[in-house]
Amino acid sequence: MNSKPELEKKIQQVLDSLDGIQRAEPRPFFYTRVLGRLQADEKTIWETMGSFLSRPVVAVAGLCVILILNGFILFQQEKESGIATPIVNSNEIVTDNEYILASSSSFEYENMDQQ
Amino acid sequence: MDERILVEKLKQGDETAFKTIVETWQNMVYNTALGIVQNPEDAEDIAQETFVQVYHSIGSFKGESKFSTWLYRITVAKALDHERRKKRKKRFGFVRSIFGEDSEVVVNPPDFQHPGVVLDKKEESAVLFNAIKQLPENQRIAFTLHKVDGLSYQEVSEVMQTSVSSVESLMHRAKTNLKKRLEQHYKGLLKDQP
Repeated sequence: MNSKPELEKKIQQVLDSLDGIQRAEPRPFFYTRVLGRLQADEKTIWETMGSFLSRPVVAVAGLCVILILNGFILFQQEKESGIATPIVNSNEIVTDNEYILASSSSFEYENMDQQ
Repeated sequence: MDERILVEKLKQGDETAFKTIVETWQNMVYNTALGIVQNPEDAEDIAQETFVQVYHSIGSFKGESKFSTWLYRITVAKALDHERRKKRKKRFGFVRSIFGEDSEVVVNPPDFQHPGVVLDKKEESAVLFNAIKQLPENQRIAFTLHKVDGLSYQEVSEVMQTSVSSVESLMHRAKTNLKKRLEQHYKGLLKDQP
């Protein structure tokens, strides 16, 4: 292969070495391994989702969103029901007065007993 | 079974259709991947990934091209991705080794022997595959699809989504580059001889 024609001949032989090449085949039970890969990939999606949700940033952000939503809903409810002002019921006042009277009368009764 | 019926059945989630698709095209996909990555384990990995992708994204196959063309495209894309990942890993391993960290040593594989090559051409084809590896990406894909997978220029152009004249040009440049590399290879061998 010292001469140029010999070298060219060799190169041409190398370039033609793929002529008549047969198709390579994978190892047997290829489909079973593809199925295994499919199932493994499905598991990975859930695992990825789990690990994504358990990240501190995501968890804190999720908590903030929930708190903001809660605040918003409360705010909306209050807005819908109008301004909540304390309405004093006259019956309640009476009851309170009665209670005060009752208690004072019981105090007097006890005092009388001691005397 | 007809290709279109198989695709329609797979779109409806029919597992038997998926099995038929895998068994019909597994050799084609594996052979293409093997031609590009030149490693049986990696080729098997890519072939599996290709069929997983087919299962998940069959809905996006509109039937504008042949199913086999679509499969070739996925396989080539996966094989190139795989190579990029491997190169990145190799580079990262090198950087880590500079800083003295333990890392997996990526050893350059020995000359690739394609199992489909005729016995008396094994040695020459190994030299050729080594030279193909050094070609620019587009030339390498065109040459491999034409020479290893036996696709016509028209089919290669459909897979690569380019014109036939572009494929002809890629093939011409690939052959010129290969000749140069082979010349260097054999001249180097002659120099090394005592």
